[in-house]
Amino acid sequence: MYGWHGKILRIDLTNQKTSVEDVDPQIARDYLGGRGWAIRYLYNEVDPQVDPLGPDNKLIFATGPLTATTAPTGNRYMVVTKSPLTGALAHSNSGGDFPTWMKRTGFDLFIFEGKAEKPVYLWVNEDEVEIRSAEHLWGQDVPSTTDALLAETNPKAKAACIGPAGENLVLMAAVMNDKDRAAARSGVGAVMGSKNLKGVVAYGRKNPIFADDKKMRELSLIIAKEVGADMLAGSSLREYGTAYVPQVTNTLGILPTRNWQTGTFEGVDEIDGVALKEKYLIKPKPCYRCPIACGRLTEVPDGKYAGKGEGPEYETISAFGSGCGVDNLAAVTKANYWCNELGLDTISTGMTIAAAMEMYEKGYISEEEIGQPLRFGDPDAMIDMVQKMAYRDGFGNELAEGSYRLAEKYGHPEIAVTTRKQEFPGYDPRGSQGMGLLYATSNKGASHMEGDVAYEEVFGVPIKDDPLTTDGKGELVARFQDAFALIDASGLCVFLAVRYVFNTDRMIWPTRLSQLMEYTTGVAYTPAEVLKAADRVYTLERMFLLKAGSTEDTLPPRMLNEPLPDGPAKGHVAELDKMLPEFYEVRGWDEKGFPTEEKLKDLGLQ
Amino acid sequence: MKISIRLIATFMELLPPGTKGNKIEIEVPEGTTASVVMAQFNVPQDASSVIVVNGLTVPLSTLLVEGDVVSAFSAVAGG
Repeated sequence: MYGWHGKILRIDLTNQKTSVEDVDPQIARDYLGGRGWAIRYLYNEVDPQVDPLGPDNKLIFATGPLTATTAPTGNRYMVVTKSPLTGALAHSNSGGDFPTWMKRTGFDLFIFEGKAEKPVYLWVNEDEVEIRSAEHLWGQDVPSTTDALLAETNPKAKAACIGPAGENLVLMAAVMNDKDRAAARSGVGAVMGSKNLKGVVAYGRKNPIFADDKKMRELSLIIAKEVGADMLAGSSLREYGTAYVPQVTNTLGILPTRNWQTGTFEGVDEIDGVALKEKYLIKPKPCYRCPIACGRLTEVPDGKYAGKGEGPEYETISAFGSGCGVDNLAAVTKANYWCNELGLDTISTGMTIAAAMEMYEKGYISEEEIGQPLRFGDPDAMIDMVQKMAYRDGFGNELAEGSYRLAEKYGHPEIAVTTRKQEFPGYDPRGSQGMGLLYATSNKGASHMEGDVAYEEVFGVPIKDDPLTTDGKGELVARFQDAFALIDASGLCVFLAVRYVFNTDRMIWPTRLSQLMEYTTGVAYTPAEVLKAADRVYTLERMFLLKAGSTEDTLPPRMLNEPLPDGPAKGHVAELDKMLPEFYEVRGWDEKGFPTEEKLKDLGLQ
Repeated sequence: MKISIRLIATFMELLPPGTKGNKIEIEVPEGTTASVVMAQFNVPQDASSVIVVNGLTVPLSTLLVEGDVVSAFSAVAGG
């Protein structure tokens, strides 16, 4: 095969055995790679009703055909499994270096099965594969674990691992790679922890071979030059990282504030990208072969929040900053460092603490139950809770279950702002209607990474769409879901792909992506074909979700019944019922959201 | 009448030198449109930027009224 290696490394943790298998060329083509291949294997091999933290669940690391290629931002991988947080599908994306190194081992996918009796890590040095003891690493944080893994294998290798949060089966535990990058969402780190798998180390020199080397390099160069010119002209992403976004969402009145009680935050100037650049930025830090460099290497030089690491990005700021009512950027940054070191998803962690703060202030949870006061705007209490969550210490044990279970346990489920029990990312759907539809229908619970229509509704990419309207949003969301499935399957980053790889005519024909796929794999993909494959991937994920029993596409009561109290979107609620029928129709699903027989037949999924 | 201009992230450079933060208040005549004000600050009025009035998506030909806030940022995928 070209582009793909066509090889899967299967790791049986129960019996401490590994095996290699070839990928069927038709599956390779029909499911594109990465996220697409992963759902194909997960769907075939895992009962959607399985206990997500039991040995019968599987954990899949998946690179795409464009991972480790010359394509700019071709540095992503996906972690796919059944989620313990949502009880549905998890597919979490990450960049950095590890995904490229993983692909260079000569395998496209690692599939972990069963459960090791004692803690282990996997060391893949091309065809030399070892399952080694990790008993001495159990309990260590992410930086220490990463350093130890590389010292014990090859300093030139790259590693992914879990921290204490994953070991302790915290439902929002992340799989961290290269210390500070995260396949963050849906508790994929807890699944890794449930298998006693502490880490994965990869090294190799098997770069994918391109079917048309000349054309692939030419197109890669053209894209790189376009991005480079934009960066030279001044890019908000390069200058400020995603941390510039709080000013944007605050301007539109959709910046989650104090657990979604409003959409504007009076302290926004204190926690935005400009403040970050002035106070704590050391330099932008790119993922491998990325011309955008949105990552932030930062340092809080002194004081009680002193530390050094990566972040915060927008989502982290909206969760720990405005979400918790905290206008102290050093504290937000420190909370981010702790999440990275302990292996936690910053969105669900911050938003769960925000929900707990609201419950405390309303008297639904007492100081005695928490062990301390937990008010909005208290940075020290917030940071303390992050640490307690990772170790399930005291009240942290309640928080470790996420805001949905927390709010339900204390008798106030209306406080939780989740879909499929997963916390919302930082766009209030009452002022960004398409995002509401996206959260409600997302196969992985609330997530912007499943089809981020904020690109159009908020950021004007590829065109600006009014975020307060509902007309046409069904079509818009469906199109973005397919686009993101395609990007995730290919191994590119969405920050590049939506702007530079899709066409500006609202991404109807992603010509360049199909060309990159063709030049890499040799499959004569047309734009229509890659989109149909993306539809196939998305629909199969939907089937997994439905078979897992998660059949209701809805939003939490706060979004449907409580209008935003102020700001530009004042008076608006999420008008899901106006958008859902159109969405189902566009997707070829029936009025209850089940793919029709005709649709399944068309996609070859019956 | 007085209105405010908020230029976000890289567009902050388009504000007058010495401006504190990303927002300034200016005096404009009655009948001024969002488009005219944005031109005054050299904010591009094409697909490369997003311009909103009071946080709302409105035509750039919209007449401004006292107290309006015109905000702009470059169109960038990200968040």
